[in-house]
Amino acid sequence: MSRGDLINSLSADLEPVKPVAGTNLLTATWLLLGVAYVMIAALVLGPVRPGVFDQLVGNPRFLLETLYGVGVFTLVAMVAFRSAIPAALTPTLKRLAIIAVIIWIGNFLYALINPALEPSMVGKRPHCYLETLVYALPPMLFAIYRQQQLYPLKPRDSALWAGLAAGLIPAWYMQIACMYLPKHVLLFHILPGLAMAGVGVLMWLLWQRVKG
Amino acid sequence: MAEITGRSLGGRCWVKMPQINEELYAADEARWASLMVAAQKGEQEPYRQLLAEVGEAVSRYLTVRFGAHAMIEDCVQDVLMAMHEGRHTYNPSKKFRPWLFTIARHKAIDALRKRNARREVPEEEVAGVYSEDVTEGIDRGKLLARLSITYREAVTLTKLVGLSNAEAAARLQISESAVKVRVHRGMLQLRQFLEAEQI
Repeated sequence: MSRGDLINSLSADLEPVKPVAGTNLLTATWLLLGVAYVMIAALVLGPVRPGVFDQLVGNPRFLLETLYGVGVFTLVAMVAFRSAIPAALTPTLKRLAIIAVIIWIGNFLYALINPALEPSMVGKRPHCYLETLVYALPPMLFAIYRQQQLYPLKPRDSALWAGLAAGLIPAWYMQIACMYLPKHVLLFHILPGLAMAGVGVLMWLLWQRVKG
Repeated sequence: MAEITGRSLGGRCWVKMPQINEELYAADEARWASLMVAAQKGEQEPYRQLLAEVGEAVSRYLTVRFGAHAMIEDCVQDVLMAMHEGRHTYNPSKKFRPWLFTIARHKAIDALRKRNARREVPEEEVAGVYSEDVTEGIDRGKLLARLSITYREAVTLTKLVGLSNAEAAARLQISESAVKVRVHRGMLQLRQFLEAEQI
């Protein structure tokens, strides 16, 4: 087909479209719904760790660690949605999100030798790793679905970021809902949260297969 | 390669891209943005004009970077189709050009990456020297000129001339796996060069 023919056919098929208003509102909405969903679902299955609010108020490092976690998944969610719109994602934001995740993990590695709180089994949830994986699934699927409605140039990467963002929300929430022991946090909260990045890619591949 | 300004920095050859005329740039930007807004409302004539102008601009953009080659027209058409499919993602409050050229860069690399399977050269060209027309066109590709000679040869032979890895390996007198490595690294560098450009 010549370029002229292509232009004629594309303009003949032209339908009005609603331009996307920007990704910040989408990201904020997704974050609010995602965090609310994870908190409610986790509360249904069990209470938060006893004494966690006193720990947040009385221990600035733990408070900072918790707030930093919010910043991390917010950044990752921004990357996830911006990556689905051409030119919306800057390399700086992407690098910032990667560095933020690494620092977050590094903080818990450091906590292995110098924990923010006295390590304790109080508040242990028997299947916290499964909870992390399961809670992350609906926000992840919604994020991937929404990405596909936009125009991701690297859809696999976008799905990876969506999975990571969704995985980090319950991973973060387990910090206040489950026991505080850095090794446990790393293996049963953070690791499943990170694994959701891979699940995101798998879901995208499955989606492609289903679409044919 | 006469147009190349052979400035060597850290062993890498840097090449100046054409200077941007600020006034024309701003005029194009404003016109394309308004045409795109009209296209999002479903107006066919502005959209036809936009596609025609953008097609020319993308064609020039790719020719400067990759050289005159048959692949360029395929790539331009891919960009126009991508632009059509993703037109709802253009935000009128943002600049049009970064949106467009992000798509163009991606489609260009994608088109090159997918070219392994396509065989476009006749057997006689594989055995001997490939067409002078083809190499002359490719030599004008300023982005390719920024690649080191080893990567450039491998990328040119496999992705632009259309030789298979085995045929390129025979021509370059290296192993097939070495060709694959060079092509992979060359493609990565091309992607980095393209993504580093401010359009």
